[in-house]
Amino acid sequence: MVGLRQSSAVDKGRRLRVLGLTVLALGLAVILSLEGSVFAGQAGYLPFVACVVLASAFDGFLPGAIVTGFGAMAVLLLGGGIDSLSGGLGLVLYLAIGIAIAFWGGSALKARATAAMTQQHLQSILDTVPDAMIVIDRNGIMRSFSTAAERLFGWTAAEMVGLNVSTLMPQPYRGAHNSYLERYARTKERRIIGIGRIIVGLRKNGTTFPMELHVGETGGAVPFFTGFVRDLTERQQVEARLQDLQSELVHVSRLMAVGEMASMLAHELNQPLSAVANLLTGSRRLFERGRPEDGPKITEALQKAAQQALRAGDIIHRMRSFVSRGDGERGLENLSKVVEEAAALGLVGVKERQVEVSFDLAVDANAIFVDKVQIQQVLLNLIRNALEAMQDTLQRRLSITTVRRDDDYVVVSVADTGSGLAEEIREKLFHPFMTTKPQGMGVGLSISRSIVDAHGGRIWAEENPGGGTVFRFTLPPVPTEGANDE
Amino acid sequence: MSEMLVHLVDDDDSARDSLAFMLEAADFVVQSYESAQAFLDGLPIGPRGCVITDVRMPDMTGIELVHRLNALKVGLPVIVITGHGDIPLAIEAMRAGVVDFIEKPFPEERILEALDLARDKLGVEVGETPNSEILEKLETLSEREREVLDGVVAGRPNKIIARDLGISPRTVEIYRAKVMTKMQADNLAALVRMTMAAGLG
Repeated sequence: MVGLRQSSAVDKGRRLRVLGLTVLALGLAVILSLEGSVFAGQAGYLPFVACVVLASAFDGFLPGAIVTGFGAMAVLLLGGGIDSLSGGLGLVLYLAIGIAIAFWGGSALKARATAAMTQQHLQSILDTVPDAMIVIDRNGIMRSFSTAAERLFGWTAAEMVGLNVSTLMPQPYRGAHNSYLERYARTKERRIIGIGRIIVGLRKNGTTFPMELHVGETGGAVPFFTGFVRDLTERQQVEARLQDLQSELVHVSRLMAVGEMASMLAHELNQPLSAVANLLTGSRRLFERGRPEDGPKITEALQKAAQQALRAGDIIHRMRSFVSRGDGERGLENLSKVVEEAAALGLVGVKERQVEVSFDLAVDANAIFVDKVQIQQVLLNLIRNALEAMQDTLQRRLSITTVRRDDDYVVVSVADTGSGLAEEIREKLFHPFMTTKPQGMGVGLSISRSIVDAHGGRIWAEENPGGGTVFRFTLPPVPTEGANDE
Repeated sequence: MSEMLVHLVDDDDSARDSLAFMLEAADFVVQSYESAQAFLDGLPIGPRGCVITDVRMPDMTGIELVHRLNALKVGLPVIVITGHGDIPLAIEAMRAGVVDFIEKPFPEERILEALDLARDKLGVEVGETPNSEILEKLETLSEREREVLDGVVAGRPNKIIARDLGISPRTVEIYRAKVMTKMQADNLAALVRMTMAAGLG
């Protein structure tokens, strides 16, 4: 109604109106006083009172006061001055009433303007916020449907107001929503109000989308519920993309780890392959010689050859499952088995390095809920690091332990008796591109940390009391059935 | 066929047993040891034998064993078996007086050939004179071929030789093949042996 930018034009109109009202009142007073009857004397103020009311109601205090002043002057001029005490009192009374009316009119006008301003301000906020806003009553009937809601759902406010809000929900929520409202009215138990949750919305065109819903309740005798809806489609796409990149990185680093071990693995494969070659060559020779007493020897050699071929196959199988992309799915795994398999891969070539390896795997720590390949990647990384740290030390002992803590978390430790780490390096150890190795990229530990973090655990390094370093990481207890909220 | 006793040293059971089986099938008499120390503990042994040892072993490597045998003045010919990527080690072994080195896995002929070399070596005193035939072959090499040969017998991979000489690895491969042909060497060990005999090592 009244915008700030139009103020000068409004001022002009207001002045004209004040003038007009005064002239009108003056005219009335003159006409009425000329008649010399009813409005003579103090009654001459009456037309002015009416004008004051109009002026103050529409234009505020000051115009009302001005009209009051004009009225007083007109009555004085036309009535020929104040000739009596009652005439004086009448004037004072008139002035007091006039000012009071002007004041009341002015503040009423101001309140109206303020209310309108507030209303408009609110409306502009509601029109601008990217979140859609929908107000429903306690029966689920939509009372208001914001511009953003129109954009988000594809319905217009005109189409929606008066319909049940479940129109905007896909099944099975659609059918259940009224019962939620009914349950809330009965129990006052808040499942969404003031908490917010992520649910699925239904557009006019029938497509669904992920949305975040926050609900507020308006108090009073008749409660209303205001819902703010945020479209999560884009956010979920970004998150999914980020997750893809993350798992890609994890996979690439796994490939790198195996790449670094390539010569060790080749050696490990050579061993059974050359055994197979030797056994078959020898068997062929014995077979060609054709002595019956060699029969059992040939049989035994062939059986050994088959075993060795399978051993080679095992190595390849372990390696292949480790470098596979993996589906990134978590499952119930046996920690001892996970550790043993990772160690089998990580300890390739350890015999030549003269490292003493010991395992202490607690049976009660076996149940874990993890992405097996990723946890093996962490283990492999820690094992390879430990072996490297012990390259130049006399004492080479690697111990891998698992234990279940009192809080049900599992702690896996990989301890070496290597050169140890300086305090300042230990702090930065898990930062990306932090490395102490000449050929290292510095991604192994930072990826290990992101894997452990993603599993809800923690990874850190400690000084090994006997010299060297202990890396530990935790894994949370296996989630129980009931932990998942509906 | 052969009166030569083969002393086989390897820490890996399957590798040792399978090689012993193959050699026995080829009528060699084989004595197995699961560590270099076990073999040293068994000394002294008769003069009519040779040693086959793996390079990578815990406690004492095959190379260390060769050095120990030299120090003990045990005149047995030694054949070294290497895994993948141990070429520099093997060449070091050749310089330490090893008769031959063989990369795993190997065909039967290769080990029999090495054993023949070892048998020949048994009769010959250490400190061979340069073979004029080898020197003649060396003469036929171009300057670049000689440079590549030097790099190869020093145990350097092609990539490093290429970098040192400022040529591409592909070119090194070609030179290397030419060198092998001109020197009539079937394998790297033979090439190393020739250069050592010619006093280049």
